[in-house]
Amino acid sequence: MGDVILTMKGITKSFPGVRALDGVNFEVRKGEVHALMGENGAGKSTLMKVLTGIYKKDSGTITYEGKEVEFHNTREAQSAGIVIVHQELNMLGHLTVAQNIFIGREFKKGIRIDDKKMNEEAKKLFDRLNINIDPTETMSNLTVGKQQMCEIAKAISHDAKVIIFDEPSAALTEAEIEELFKIIKDLRKQQLGIVYISHRMDEIKVITDRVTVMRDGTYVGTLITKDCTKNDIINMMVGRVIYEDPKEHSMVPEGAPVVLKVEHLNAGKMVQDVSFELHKGEILGFSGLMGAGRTETARAIFGADPKESGDIYINGQKVTINTPEDAVKCGIGYLSEDRKRFGIVVQKTVAENSTMATLEKYTKGLFIDKKAEKDVAQKYVESLATKTPSVDQLVVNLSGGNQQKVVIAKWLVRNCDILIFDEPTRGIDVGAKNEIYKLMNKLAEEGKAIIMISSEMTEILRMSDRIVVMCEGKKTGEIGIEEAAQETIMNMATREIG
Amino acid sequence: MGRIKENPIVKKLGFNRIILCSVLLLMYLLFSLTSKNFAGLPRILSALNYAYFLGFLSLGVTFVIATGGIDFSIGPVMFCSALISGYCLTSYGVPVALSLVISILVGTLFGVFNGYLVAYWSVPPFIVSMASMNIAKGIASVFTKTQSVSWPQGTTPEGWFRSLVKVGDFPVGLVIFLAFAVICSIILNKTRAGRYILSLGSNKEAVRLSGVNIKKWEMLAYIICGTLVGIAAIFFVAAYTTVQPGYGDQYNNEAIAGCVMGGTSMAGGLASIGGTVIGVFIIALLQEGILALHFTKDYQLIITGLIVIVAVYADVTARRRKN
Repeated sequence: MGDVILTMKGITKSFPGVRALDGVNFEVRKGEVHALMGENGAGKSTLMKVLTGIYKKDSGTITYEGKEVEFHNTREAQSAGIVIVHQELNMLGHLTVAQNIFIGREFKKGIRIDDKKMNEEAKKLFDRLNINIDPTETMSNLTVGKQQMCEIAKAISHDAKVIIFDEPSAALTEAEIEELFKIIKDLRKQQLGIVYISHRMDEIKVITDRVTVMRDGTYVGTLITKDCTKNDIINMMVGRVIYEDPKEHSMVPEGAPVVLKVEHLNAGKMVQDVSFELHKGEILGFSGLMGAGRTETARAIFGADPKESGDIYINGQKVTINTPEDAVKCGIGYLSEDRKRFGIVVQKTVAENSTMATLEKYTKGLFIDKKAEKDVAQKYVESLATKTPSVDQLVVNLSGGNQQKVVIAKWLVRNCDILIFDEPTRGIDVGAKNEIYKLMNKLAEEGKAIIMISSEMTEILRMSDRIVVMCEGKKTGEIGIEEAAQETIMNMATREIG
Repeated sequence: MGRIKENPIVKKLGFNRIILCSVLLLMYLLFSLTSKNFAGLPRILSALNYAYFLGFLSLGVTFVIATGGIDFSIGPVMFCSALISGYCLTSYGVPVALSLVISILVGTLFGVFNGYLVAYWSVPPFIVSMASMNIAKGIASVFTKTQSVSWPQGTTPEGWFRSLVKVGDFPVGLVIFLAFAVICSIILNKTRAGRYILSLGSNKEAVRLSGVNIKKWEMLAYIICGTLVGIAAIFFVAAYTTVQPGYGDQYNNEAIAGCVMGGTSMAGGLASIGGTVIGVFIIALLQEGILALHFTKDYQLIITGLIVIVAVYADVTARRRKN
């Protein structure tokens, strides 16, 4: 680790009614990877937005390269050498890689754009990062991982001295994450200061030198990563102890009946001949890499996407599911991986979202029975410990974890026997994560059958009674939790299919 | 400003609606001061005549816009309804009462047509309604052999339907229109149909994945719109007697202006019937004032055009600020 390049001291920022940051301290040295951690809403993003000039701080100082600075927008921060690589990629799919990297500052030959020079410059950037991407390739042809590399190349092309990675691994496969880490390590060697925001504890241990933890807009402390344990960090984040031990044996009673049987399901390239059974009271983990076809399988079962062939049996009865409507009638509920797009209706209240799948039961004659609706919503707000001022609150105003609970409430109100949880804890902070785990266990105990799709190995091992592994649209393995180990699953998930 | 918005009374009524009401009153004062003979009952009744048919169009299109869609066929469909039913009355001797039913039926059929194409065939509403706008004009011209149709005068026994608008100086139309507005508001806010229409305007995929038959409900919004357009036609002929084929487009803009001014979001998911009603009164008053000040109808086209742009701009920026 080198000299301090960036210091933020006593940063305070208030929004109407909320103090988002309260005297936060943070520093970055040259040649270090500094993790910034905290639950959702702890103020990490706000802090970074203050740094890059998106928000104006109320008080505190920012010292960068020995001088006190204040940026008024991201462009100013960028030209000073502070750039953010965002979680959501901002790329134009129809342009080439080089055109994307130099967008807004194209090299020109007279009035024409000099594509040749841009390609050469892009190549130089990629060489510096030791990555192999063709600058003339069309952006949309690249995988998400490769696109992110381009985003990093773009950041470096601004002559960055401090790079902020905002949850960079959220959409990457294990292999891509490894490649990303190689690049980050390279950048560290080149004496850049790197801020790494992530929820994934394992990554923090692998890649970072120091960890700064925030909680509720305040600074909790900074640790040297190699001198602390995972639990130390978690304790600082949540102020309580949480264990993440894997499940040792299946909780499903012997001889539990099969509630859902899927046979030879086919739906495009991503779902090829998938068969499995789901028992009453079971949590069936679906593991695999990003793009293995797990979500597609779930969507095909649920009728959200058309299927080509295959049979579905519920409690031994063959059923026809062509639309989500059919699926819901069969007692299946689906919690999407992308709750903003597929789960909640943001302009509706907690109560209105809770009854979205069951509204006919809360209709008296012609009219919605708003009292009954609010009562049932209130019941689930209490039993799921959803943090909301009232059931009349618009869900847009809730945090990610609480929005997720509202989506869960929607299916619990419906009293579905089969629940598909697709990445139920993605983007949710540690505390809320544990509540959702507890809830899933409770539901399974009550006899609900749960399919849990997850890309987090720890989550799979902790929650599942049995695990189905998929790779490239095919089922490549199925094991009970007793025999399951990270290596076995990984093997199945990356198995070459002849 | 913030404190005013937090006031419980203001919150209950809606800040936007209070502003709109103030605009309405100010406009009335302004016209009364600048134009002789503007103040008084005759002008108000005349403005109301305009407000009735426009109001029904606006109520109808509010449902469509709430789903995130748009309907540019409402004006021409209203004319088509009035022309077909009027031609049945004058040329085929169909009784008045049945003609009125035919008018509503024609509107409803267009609603079914638009709704089916939008919901079940996934044709963009913009395209569907542009096409059916021309289809409506074409059908009306073919059916009437390109002749204008005049509905019976109030003095004849067949002119009884005119008391739907007013009896003596009493504005019956206002009562009917407000009653319909209340019904629409109840549909939108208290029934499953309204809940689903607004929800799918906000996030269609989330509603579909909740197991709701979104196609059915989306189509219903267009049918409700079509039916209200058919009713609008009745109030048009009851107030203005003669309908000419080939027109009606201008009312699209005015109806949509009334709707978005009242706080219904073009992006879907948010709609206010109360706002639409006040918005319609503003447009109707505007048209009356422009005529009173001896400007031509063209100025009104310009002004309503600008109103739509400003109202949508205000909605978009408010949304951006929220995010």
